[in-house]
Amino acid sequence: MRTCPTRRIVLSMLMLTAAALPARAAEPTVPVGVIANLTGSDVPSSVDMVRGVQLAADELNAAGGVQGRKIVLITEDSEYRPQAGIEAATKLFDVNKVEAAIVFGGSSVTLPIAELARPKGKVILNTSASSAKLGGYPGTLYSTLPLDDIVGAQVGAYAAKMGVKSAAFIVPNNTFGTGLMDAAAAAFTAAGGTVVRKIAYTEGQPDYRPDLQPLQRAKPDAIISAGYGDDTRTVFKAARELGITAPWYVAYPSIFAVEDPAWLNGHMSGLDNGGLDSSTGQRIKAIYAQQFKGEPRPHYFYGYDAMMLLGRAMQKGGTDAAAIKAALPLVAKDYDGATGRIEWDDRGQRINPPMDYFAFRDGKLEPIAAPK
Amino acid sequence: MIDFAIFAVTMIAIWSVLGISLHLQFGLTGLVNFGQVMPFAVGAYGAGFAAAHGLPIAAGIAIGALLTPLLGLLVIQPAGRLAQDYWALVTLGAGEIFRLTMLNVPAIAGGVEGTTVYRIADRSLAMLLALALLGAAALLARRIGRSPLGRILRVLREDETLGATLGRNPFALHRLVTVVSWTLAGLAGVLYAHVVGYLSPGAFTVGETFLIWTAVVLGGPASLPGVVLGTAVVELTAVSTRFVAQWSHLPFELTANLRLGTFGLVLVLVFLFRPDGLLREAKARSDADRR
Repeated sequence: MRTCPTRRIVLSMLMLTAAALPARAAEPTVPVGVIANLTGSDVPSSVDMVRGVQLAADELNAAGGVQGRKIVLITEDSEYRPQAGIEAATKLFDVNKVEAAIVFGGSSVTLPIAELARPKGKVILNTSASSAKLGGYPGTLYSTLPLDDIVGAQVGAYAAKMGVKSAAFIVPNNTFGTGLMDAAAAAFTAAGGTVVRKIAYTEGQPDYRPDLQPLQRAKPDAIISAGYGDDTRTVFKAARELGITAPWYVAYPSIFAVEDPAWLNGHMSGLDNGGLDSSTGQRIKAIYAQQFKGEPRPHYFYGYDAMMLLGRAMQKGGTDAAAIKAALPLVAKDYDGATGRIEWDDRGQRINPPMDYFAFRDGKLEPIAAPK
Repeated sequence: MIDFAIFAVTMIAIWSVLGISLHLQFGLTGLVNFGQVMPFAVGAYGAGFAAAHGLPIAAGIAIGALLTPLLGLLVIQPAGRLAQDYWALVTLGAGEIFRLTMLNVPAIAGGVEGTTVYRIADRSLAMLLALALLGAAALLARRIGRSPLGRILRVLREDETLGATLGRNPFALHRLVTVVSWTLAGLAGVLYAHVVGYLSPGAFTVGETFLIWTAVVLGGPASLPGVVLGTAVVELTAVSTRFVAQWSHLPFELTANLRLGTFGLVLVLVFLFRPDGLLREAKARSDADRR
């Protein structure tokens, strides 16, 4: 009997796969899910987050794994789409039987995943989304970065401490931008400041002059902003072309893209999540430089901390979700991570995070002292 | 594994209803709707509005089912007397206007933050509901396709002027098709909201419209079984490539891109070798053919 070549190849591949599977199954392992937008928006940050998770898993495995079992990461792409994120999470929970997943993605992806995880009793470790709404999943969702309400309040207070009396806001119209703006505006107003204009722009526009013109007409003492990537570059370009000279106070200056360094020199300052200069942070930063030849993005550190906390919780309590939930707050108390000490509130959300202050001078961000 | 298969079947059924909605508009009538995600989103936001305002689930279903055809009529009013190129532009714009409205008006359903919707906890029930909706949509589309109405819609698709010379009002027929097809898409949206449990404007972008178009064109826009097959192929390709990526043990950055590349390759190959779609429109048999 003759068999066509394609069929032979397919059969051989199936046999090889079948032969490989029992060998892997024989080794005791703990599957951990990782969901990241490996295609779509903000891929470099996402890739760095997975690299941080991978490094922590490697270190945990080198130290004997958790409860004598090696951690195996199963990484899924969310494509930065809620639908694909749900699909990825469903596969991880139902097919791969993971008890916990580490997630990188905006709130629009992370929230539906949390919604799916909650009734299943699974654990989510959030490394990037910052909507205050994420605090609504106590016992399911734990964050290694502070949510917008924490950081936003600090930005608003910072601007007030710098003597700003009236401020206008410009942020991207998404959960990150509007969440930060609302928290910052509340803190700024509480400190005696006046908000003269709030603008939430649609992302991906080629020109933001129409958005900035009302802001310019409001004549604020300062502009308070949040944003990231190419959009921030376009916003700065529009501001420069309109002749706006007010200083900028921003959240997360490290993710802003500067359009004209000379124009912005001395005009932008702000605060970023700190703690990255901790001994662990410096150590894993050096490993990154060795492996990937460059500077890691902040999410590398958040991913590392998420995996380390998860691994320690599994080691202490056990590898099922209920045991992980019980152990996570306990291990966090003694954990001095790559992003500093991690202190969670009752919801599993990070509070009192270390913050670093920066000013943009001579083409780069320079650390400055925190305002009194 | 069975839970994941149930989830995949549920999603295929929901997206197939959207595909059938587009089959009625484009495959049967020739209306190019580049805002097909809009009726889906309106239905979903009907459920979202009810959830955000403490209304019962039935109210959400009613809002989604009633508002969708009404908004459909509103959209086609200016586009109805224009050439079909403009129809495509108007529907594309309408879809974006709706999404941006949901994004910027938090009073409707949470704005940019989105809203939580009652989620059907029993996955099997969700699948049965999706299959029931798919069955009803398929039966309705089949009945329309085989009726005198279906025949005149095909005439409009091929030559609108010819349809008018036969004493039919093309615009009235376009309105009828819009009401029926948008209602189907709206109901699919309501069910989607209750399956997923959370809504945000990011779930209803132009990208989703083109995913539906891909499925419909792939399966064969004028063939009802083709549309369902196309949707199944698109969804199963997206799902199965996740397993291939996992089993390959290649670096994660590579598998993510290879996965999308494979997905694109499958589509390109089908378009190359089956340009009319996987299943072509069945030729209507007349009495003369039978003799």
